[in-house]
Amino acid sequence: MNCKELVYLLGEYLDGSMEEHLRKDLDGHIAMCDSCTNFLNTYDTTRIICRQVQLSEIPEEFRERLRTFVVAKAKEHHQGIEKYRRMAAEEQRRQVEELLRAFREGRLSSSLSLLFDTHRDRCETCGEFLRAQNGGAVPETIPRDIEEHLAEFLEAIPAGEEPFRT
Amino acid sequence: MAESKQGKRMPAERLLDDDVLLEELRKGSPEAVEALFDRFHGKIYGLAMSILKNESDAEEATQDVFLTVFQKAHTFKGNSALYSWIYRICVNACLMRLRGKRRQETVSIEEFMPVFTEDGMHTSPVEDWSKEVERKMLDKELGRVIKKFTDELSEKYRVVFVLSDVEGMSNEETAQILGLTVPAVKSRLHRARLFLREQLSRYLQEGKTA
Ligand SMILES: [Zn+2]
Ligand SMILES: [Zn+2]
Repeated sequence: MNCKELVYLLGEYLDGSMEEHLRKDLDGHIAMCDSCTNFLNTYDTTRIICRQVQLSEIPEEFRERLRTFVVAKAKEHHQGIEKYRRMAAEEQRRQVEELLRAFREGRLSSSLSLLFDTHRDRCETCGEFLRAQNGGAVPETIPRDIEEHLAEFLEAIPAGEEPFRT
Repeated sequence: MAESKQGKRMPAERLLDDDVLLEELRKGSPEAVEALFDRFHGKIYGLAMSILKNESDAEEATQDVFLTVFQKAHTFKGNSALYSWIYRICVNACLMRLRGKRRQETVSIEEFMPVFTEDGMHTSPVEDWSKEVERKMLDKELGRVIKKFTDELSEKYRVVFVLSDVEGMSNEETAQILGLTVPAVKSRLHRARLFLREQLSRYLQEGKTA
């Protein structure tokens, strides 16, 4: 161990991640080398004193300008999302209504027809509702949970297949 | 009474929880936006200042950080802490800004690395000024000087130094924020400290001879 090697390893020596035999080597060198003892002390002090460095503080006028900006942008961003959500919800409702109409009128594609029939027999939420549709009853509203189930069917259609005949 | 006066502060306390804060942000809660701002704007600005060293650049970078946080709030998975995610966004925003600019001249770190003889001994005896500095710990002038020296570090070293030694992050956290390996963080931090040690050494020496 010489001074150069010691200086190279100081970080690990101080953060405690050093292997025991290496640490003994370093301790040995430090015990007999004044320069390295002093280097170690000043390196360690540097590390400690630099923790007192303060990050620059934000000037008051910046802070208020920034706050106004951030609050406004957050609102804008959220309104954008809300608008998109509303549009997506309306779109889904419209699609499910069309799908149900096609179901009542027997225009569903073969794979969707199969999905509807199995779902009607197995799903506690939709079963009764779908059987009524089979009877030709036009619903006033489509309950939210049923709409979600039926919307999932649209995602399950193989690519390129039309869900129903128009 | 005090209770009812503080009534309005109750939701803010709830928002100190990262998961709650994010959930409320996704819902567009104005209180959550305020809470996010109060908690992070100072740190973000300070970090941006330490990388960009220019007030208006730091202000713009801080704006960018908040915009990114709003846009990505729904993608944050919570496998790292919220602050380290935000610091990462901040570092990236600042580095993007630096990329567009001509690098400012910084002092060459090499000139401040310790020098050794061919057989690896210190070329000149090393003085111990640690006690002297510890006495001056709260000295304003010393604080100012250290800040000046850290500003002289090139951003490659400065960012690591600020996150680890000023902000007190672990090497692992710093590595994660900067997208570096832990050994790379350790080695940059070590060189930054060697640089600062040497700068302080010279500064204190000058004080004696002057
Ligand atoms: Zn030595
Ligand atoms: Zn169902």
